[in-house]
Amino acid sequence: MNKIATSLDTVQEDIGRFYDPEQHHFMVMNAVDLGQQLEIQWFFSHYAPPYDTTTFFALASPDATIPSIRSIVASAWVAEAELVDLMDIRIEGSEKGFVLEPDFDSGPLRKNK
Amino acid sequence: MAQQYEIPVGAQHISLLEPLHFKFTTENEKIVHTDANVYYVHRGIEKACCTKFKFRQVSFVVGRVCGLCSISHTTAYSQVAEKLLKIEIPKRAKYLRMLVIELDRIHSHLLCLSHVAENSGFEALFMKTMQYREFSMELLEAICGNRIQYDFSIVGGVARDLKPEVANQVLRRLDHFMPQLEELADIFRNNWTLSLKNKGVGAISRETALRLNVVGPFARAAGLAVDVRNETEDLLPWKEAGFEMVTETSGDVYARNMVRIRELYVSISIIRNIINGLPETPIVTETKAFPDGEAVVRLEAPRGELFYYAKGNKTQVLERLKIKAPTFSNVAAMVEAFRGNEYGSAPAIIASYDPCLSCTAR
Repeated sequence: MNKIATSLDTVQEDIGRFYDPEQHHFMVMNAVDLGQQLEIQWFFSHYAPPYDTTTFFALASPDATIPSIRSIVASAWVAEAELVDLMDIRIEGSEKGFVLEPDFDSGPLRKNK
Repeated sequence: MAQQYEIPVGAQHISLLEPLHFKFTTENEKIVHTDANVYYVHRGIEKACCTKFKFRQVSFVVGRVCGLCSISHTTAYSQVAEKLLKIEIPKRAKYLRMLVIELDRIHSHLLCLSHVAENSGFEALFMKTMQYREFSMELLEAICGNRIQYDFSIVGGVARDLKPEVANQVLRRLDHFMPQLEELADIFRNNWTLSLKNKGVGAISRETALRLNVVGPFARAAGLAVDVRNETEDLLPWKEAGFEMVTETSGDVYARNMVRIRELYVSISIIRNIINGLPETPIVTETKAFPDGEAVVRLEAPRGELFYYAKGNKTQVLERLKIKAPTFSNVAAMVEAFRGNEYGSAPAIIASYDPCLSCTAR
């Protein structure tokens, strides 16, 4: 797994420069609860040999608003909507209620829940 | 502009076997917009795997993510755990994993095909396909002990060896299935009324599949040659076992049927090759290590790319486990592929997606 560090300020620019739909497949977005911070991850694989995985990651405070990459990766709205529900974070343009019911206690994957 | 109507379908609906909710906006029976919700079956499996269960128990937990592709989940998890433990499993275990994954693909593809037939109004074909599918369930029971949710892959290898009499039974039953598969292939390929219902319906282009990161038979039917079996030789030697890529070009319901039919032949070929060349090695690699670091694994489940991310912290319990099911990757394209189709075609289109919400919502 090839990990590339980025930040919330530059993630759109970094992924925009990297992502080519003919070459890269966006797999999913993930977050790991590190306690005081969250590690936000964006996973891509390559359509051509050696078919490796590239992961962009950025550290974010739990109350930060995460920039959306749906203007770069059209299908990313699904992964972003899931993460909003399961990790109780804010992502630009995503609302609660896609994976969990809107009145569900959100963020079940956070360590303090 | 014509009068628009909103038609909800699901979460409980006669043409939906999964708890998925679509809201179609239609104009004169034509679907012009679709909204989807998947929020009915979240079970907190990832949370449970990182709090209540030790990492060796997790392979049994993730086997309950899905009844249809249980072996894909247990294998993908076992592989990601083996990466964290830095162990290599015996070659026989790799081959046995591939054997069960391909048998599982046969029953899953036949199930999908039967539902496409049913939702296209061809109930006799639904019953015939389900009848022919039964042999794969019986073989899975003979090999794994269960018809579904087989806890076959474990961290370090597989839980049961393949007995010679069971291996012979597999070969015999596959021989018996071949003429039945020919019969099904002929009907799905040539039946006139089924073609009317399936050709040109629910189509996406290769460009759309690329743009929306579509996976599995859904992508391959549109001409996008993407299959994890072609990409991860280091974990399971698919090409050595006889894997061949199958693609179609029209991207419609008919093409999805054809991809699945043709993949049944590939699966049968792989199973025969495995049984005829099964290596004589142990089936488990023992280790007392604890998972450390982070790793990702991809595996081609019947519906497409299954993704596992795991992070260990040198304890018995994982720090984080993330599961991404193939249907999850296809949601964006599923919504788009309805546009421009007749509302009456929606049931067949939905069945041809082969959606699995149990995997998606976890």
